[in-house]
Amino acid sequence: MKEIFKLAGILMLVTAVASSALSIVNNLTKDEIEKQKRKAVKASLAVALPISARNAIHPIKKGDKILYYKGYAPEDTTRLNGYAFLAIGKGYSSKIKTMVGVDTTGKICGIKIISQKETPGLGTKIEKIDFQEQFKNKIAEDLKVVPKQTAEREGGIGSITGATISSKAVTKSIRIAIDTTLALIRAEKDNL
Amino acid sequence: MSLFNEFSKGLYEKNPVFRLALGLCPTLAVSNSIENAIGMGLAATFVLVCSNVIVSMMRKAVPNKIRIPIYIVVIATFVTIVDLVLEATRYELHKSLGLFIPLIVVNCIILGRAEAFAGKNGVVRSFVDGLGMGIGFTLALLVLGFVRELLGDGKLIGISILGEAFKPVLLLILPPGAFLTLGIFLGLFNWIDIKRSK
Amino acid sequence: MEKLLIIAIGAIFISNFVFSRFLGICPYIGVSKSLDSAIGMGMAVIFVMTLASTVTWLINTYFLQPTESNLFYILFAEKIDLSYLRTIAFILVIASLVQFVEMVIQKVSPTLYSSLGIYLPLITTNCAILGVAILNFDNIDRPYNFIESIVHGFTAGIGFTLALVLMAGIREKLEMAPVPRPLQGIPIAFIMAGLMAIAFLGFSGLSID
Repeated sequence: MKEIFKLAGILMLVTAVASSALSIVNNLTKDEIEKQKRKAVKASLAVALPISARNAIHPIKKGDKILYYKGYAPEDTTRLNGYAFLAIGKGYSSKIKTMVGVDTTGKICGIKIISQKETPGLGTKIEKIDFQEQFKNKIAEDLKVVPKQTAEREGGIGSITGATISSKAVTKSIRIAIDTTLALIRAEKDNL
Repeated sequence: MSLFNEFSKGLYEKNPVFRLALGLCPTLAVSNSIENAIGMGLAATFVLVCSNVIVSMMRKAVPNKIRIPIYIVVIATFVTIVDLVLEATRYELHKSLGLFIPLIVVNCIILGRAEAFAGKNGVVRSFVDGLGMGIGFTLALLVLGFVRELLGDGKLIGISILGEAFKPVLLLILPPGAFLTLGIFLGLFNWIDIKRSK
Repeated sequence: MEKLLIIAIGAIFISNFVFSRFLGICPYIGVSKSLDSAIGMGMAVIFVMTLASTVTWLINTYFLQPTESNLFYILFAEKIDLSYLRTIAFILVIASLVQFVEMVIQKVSPTLYSSLGIYLPLITTNCAILGVAILNFDNIDRPYNFIESIVHGFTAGIGFTLALVLMAGIREKLEMAPVPRPLQGIPIAFIMAGLMAIAFLGFSGLSID
């Protein structure tokens, strides 16, 4: 019986030493990790809202949740010139998260896909620059997925060959996110 | 066995992946690109070397009955250190390796070496053994990663090597490709063995 | 209820722990030689996974994560972030659970105990168990709640057992097939696993919501 206590005691001692060591390392790395996370968000915002000044994109929160970001013009940082927000939608084999930036008329300035785990080589092509560039200067109503050739002639988003579902999923999530966020912003303005 | 032999046995003769069939989970998961392979290999080597050294230093003081849980705590500590340091310095790689960083703690190579070697040998030998096994593991990941990224994506380290006309064998980047590639390599090593013993 | 079904089908077919997440490979190769030991191991793993998933969920939610449900927060009104202790805490819980299950099996069925041999304590290093514990919190919208984590652990175990049993069935037949010498044993097992993984890949487009 006594032996069990002795063994448990040794194990607890080792665990305590380990935990203290980890607590030190955690304190050392904590700030740097936060910095990295903020850097990643900032990078995606810069791609989504190139029209705003990099350091003048601020989050609008409700409690702990970020609803959207407000972007201000580089020449006059009191002038609101765009919004950015996350679009999340179910893709073929994963949830696709995209940072979307629009100007004050609702026209897309840029998108940046933040995370996805679609089929490598097919669905993952949504991260390619030429696919994402298609979204620029479009409004929510334009966001329909059509075959590539049709898109070149008549507009819309050209789908990726072999990845129709991923293409449709990301497009739909962006369209919904634009509509929802703009409605939210309009409602806030009305309440002022 | 000389120190150099302690080190080099982990590279080929007792390569943890290709000969001892250890550490298979991360091997399949992160061998889809060279960057992942190197990241995981070095992280695991760091943990292996550190835990081998600590376990070796403690080996006379640790009561036999609870040695496995204590080894596990030691390994888990170093794994957490690697996890935090990677998140702070190589954020993208950390995201890409994801779940498999904390899973280093159950990488059978590390617990296996602690139990089979570091618990019974001196600190310097344990350090060298850990280094050899870790680098052997990294080499195995690299070999698989090389094949899978090159033939499955046409790239190496993200750089397009085989050009636009090459139609990549998509299957290699997907899970089945991992199993098939590893199986073929294991068969290859067996074949080399059979030839040598003739 | 619907969400639970989605989790179940996900863990067994769409993101099968062995064939698509690469978790649990070492015991998979070691124990899949005979159907009986495969089934025995599978049962043990399902039990440990369900328990481990639940207990680690409780520990992470109430002690480690810096949220409102954290007990330290409730007691001391301060948000303490102990999430860096997650790996240590989880693996200690799993090691203890495996020790416990080992003692139970030894008492209840000594035959099963001896046939599983070294593979029983090796369940501790089964990445699937630590994997499922971590995956409970790894989702894009929100972590699983208590019931969801129980279901997740249970069905992940079923998925693992399914893979194990399928493999054992094939390997038993393979013993009598004319496999080329270099490929005998583990290499052919991996190639078979690869073929089965291709089959399971077909599930990845399965969408239930």
